Amino acid sequence: MAIYAFRKLAFFIGALIVASLAIFLLIRAAGGNVAAVVLGKDASAEAINALAHQYGLDRPIAIQYLDWITGMLSGDLGRSFRTNESVADLVTTRLSVSIPLALSGLLLGLVIAVPLGTYAARNVGRPSGTVLALISQVGVAVPAFWAGILLSLLFGVHLGWLPTGGWTPWSTSFTGAVRSLVLPVLSLGIIMAAVMIRYVRSAVLDVMNQDYVRTARAVGMTRTQALLRVGLRNALLPIITVIGLQIAELIGGTVIIETVFSLPGLSRMILANVAAREVIVVQSTVMLIIVFVITVNLIVDLLYGFLDPRVRASA
Amino acid sequence: MRIGNLGRRFGLMAAMATLAVGATQDLAQATSPRAAENKMVLVARQDPGTLDYVKSNLTALRLWIPANVVEPLIYFNKDGSVSPGVAESWEISEDKRVYTFTIRQAKFSDGSPVTTDDVVYSLETMSKSPVVQNAAAYAAVTSIEKLDDRKVRVTLSRPSQGFWAGMGSVSGLIQPKAAAGGIATNPIGTGPYKLVSYTTNSSLEFTANENYWGEAPAVKNVSVRIITDGTAGLNAMEAGEVDSLPVITIDLWEQLMRRGLDKKFSLVTYPQIGEPTYAVVNQKLDPELRQTIARTLDRQQYNDAFGASWGAQNTCTFALPNQPWYSPANEETCPYPFDMEGAMATVAEKGYGSKPLEYASLSDVPDLLLPADIMVPTLQAAGFNITRNAMDLARYAQTIFQGRPPQFDVTVMSGDAGPDQFVCPDESKAGWSTYCSAEYTKAIADADQALTQEDYVAKMKEAAAILRKDAVIIPLIAKNGVGLFDPDLKGFREPRVAVAIELAPLHW
Repeated sequence: MAIYAFRKLAFFIGALIVASLAIFLLIRAAGGNVAAVVLGKDASAEAINALAHQYGLDRPIAIQYLDWITGMLSGDLGRSFRTNESVADLVTTRLSVSIPLALSGLLLGLVIAVPLGTYAARNVGRPSGTVLALISQVGVAVPAFWAGILLSLLFGVHLGWLPTGGWTPWSTSFTGAVRSLVLPVLSLGIIMAAVMIRYVRSAVLDVMNQDYVRTARAVGMTRTQALLRVGLRNALLPIITVIGLQIAELIGGTVIIETVFSLPGLSRMILANVAAREVIVVQSTVMLIIVFVITVNLIVDLLYGFLDPRVRASA
Repeated sequence: MRIGNLGRRFGLMAAMATLAVGATQDLAQATSPRAAENKMVLVARQDPGTLDYVKSNLTALRLWIPANVVEPLIYFNKDGSVSPGVAESWEISEDKRVYTFTIRQAKFSDGSPVTTDDVVYSLETMSKSPVVQNAAAYAAVTSIEKLDDRKVRVTLSRPSQGFWAGMGSVSGLIQPKAAAGGIATNPIGTGPYKLVSYTTNSSLEFTANENYWGEAPAVKNVSVRIITDGTAGLNAMEAGEVDSLPVITIDLWEQLMRRGLDKKFSLVTYPQIGEPTYAVVNQKLDPELRQTIARTLDRQQYNDAFGASWGAQNTCTFALPNQPWYSPANEETCPYPFDMEGAMATVAEKGYGSKPLEYASLSDVPDLLLPADIMVPTLQAAGFNITRNAMDLARYAQTIFQGRPPQFDVTVMSGDAGPDQFVCPDESKAGWSTYCSAEYTKAIADADQALTQEDYVAKMKEAAAILRKDAVIIPLIAKNGVGLFDPDLKGFREPRVAVAIELAPLHW
């Protein structure tokens, strides 16, 4: 187990180093710099270079990388060039939007997907199962922003029940914050559900053909009882793996929803700062997300190894 | 995918979505619920990122901070008269080389008194601003001195129209020295409003400045919501959640008309914020080739695309219609009028088709995508071997500003910066446009030194003629700014300080 854990840990550290280099180099490879963006299109090259110097962007690239990495290791995520705000503060503020959005969207998606996916699997080959599979297929094809715009027009513009967009901070009004999140969560949840229904359906279909389900049927359980008591629990294992990946993706990957509903979330912050070439903000924020994802994966890998000797052996 | 592209796609999808929802609703707006709360909510399409107006000249910032939070020394009114700002009065020497400002006994929004030290600090800071446009006003300034507790004297080496104009614009904004450190997130000034909070990508919140020296603004609290997606902005307007989109971009025009919002709300057009749109051709290209490119430009085609109903005018003069040296397109002012057949013949005769050209296209500004959509195919049809290279602002800035030699051949730009942006005393310091002309630079310098308005206008006309002749900066149209307002929200007036939307005169 120790060798297995050591290997995983080495992979973890290697992945972080590669990821940090990739982020650092990719944003620079995109060209441009924050000084030119700040000064605008009428600035002279001289003025841009002077401001870039002030920001330290003209230092050797290796020094810039080492500065950033040592800062990160000591817990200093850096500061925005333009506003001098701490990246840690910026991220914390945005997470108060992104985490509830991502988790609620995921939860809603699951609440819809698990029963419907199970139902679709239970009724495979029947008209109702086919219709559900078809709905799921259409749902997967619907772009998130299309769903968002439709919901905004229906519930915001025409019915006037909910705000079409914008954000009320939790500290200003709890109800206001919840109202701001309803339509975005609904959009995200519906899209998530469409994707997850297919996973659930497939996973349930898999377990329904397993020996233990047949055994359950043989001891007198009905098909539904066997599915719910034995099959579904086993089917949840691959689904939970997918959920883990989705959470990480959702926290930094809801840019479409955040844009349509004008939410100041983490994804929009990253996008805006990529456009402005706020390299420190982008590097540190993306690195945090990567650390989170890789750490979750490491924990899962270690748990697998701990729980299942076959995994340790194959590793 | 960039926001700009997303915005375009959202626009198309939104129109379809409206049909899909299928509901029609009479949304004749009753008085906004915010009227009773003494509040208004406006929409900004772009996040400024920083509020530091000394270091940044992004329009997204200059729309809200100048005039509302931070005031200049003076204000220039629409009729050409000058009103007091932070300066209560002023004296100008006969030779127009010495300006003495008497500073108002007022307080900044943080409660600290306005001192002549603050004024000297502000002007000196602006004179060193990395933003060329800000610092240009101080080109002739030799000293800025505190005379006593009320008076500040600025001495110039020569008369300068640019200096005086700058004192009524961003170059003349006055801030407290003690609060300068927080300018990027919390600028302080003497304006009718103070900034309560700025949350990037979310909102700017203003409230009436209780220390304001003038009449209190009619609406006490103002929220500016940052909604980058245009369709979402229109949805918010239609749902009655916001009271105005004071700057409508071209990508929203079709949708706005289709949804009938132009009839439900008040459309206001105004000149200052509307910007000249012009083609820029690399000066290193053969002059005849540049002139041939100029002859492929059908200004009416661009005007149609930009919404002629907004009042956009075809022009060959780099100016706005409210500037006295402006002239609409005519035979006298257009040395290279549209002549596609003639251009095609020249391209074939001179073999220009064998020279690869690159069109630098700024992809995240909707107003600049349409000209590219028109210009590139037109140039190709004329026989030019031109390809379009789309890039975001950061890359565009690097390509255009820092590329030595310039790494583009043709582009289209718009902006509210004046004709002095093309001044170039030294070719190695040519600005983003690559344009550098000793003749033009001298003409602008001569105009700047004019002692009378008549002389100034005459000399600016001469400068405009040089610019036209060189076919490097090729004006296409002069647009108007357009704002969409709740019919009950009245009092909008044209921006006086650069492009700033003045909030104080707005009232329910």
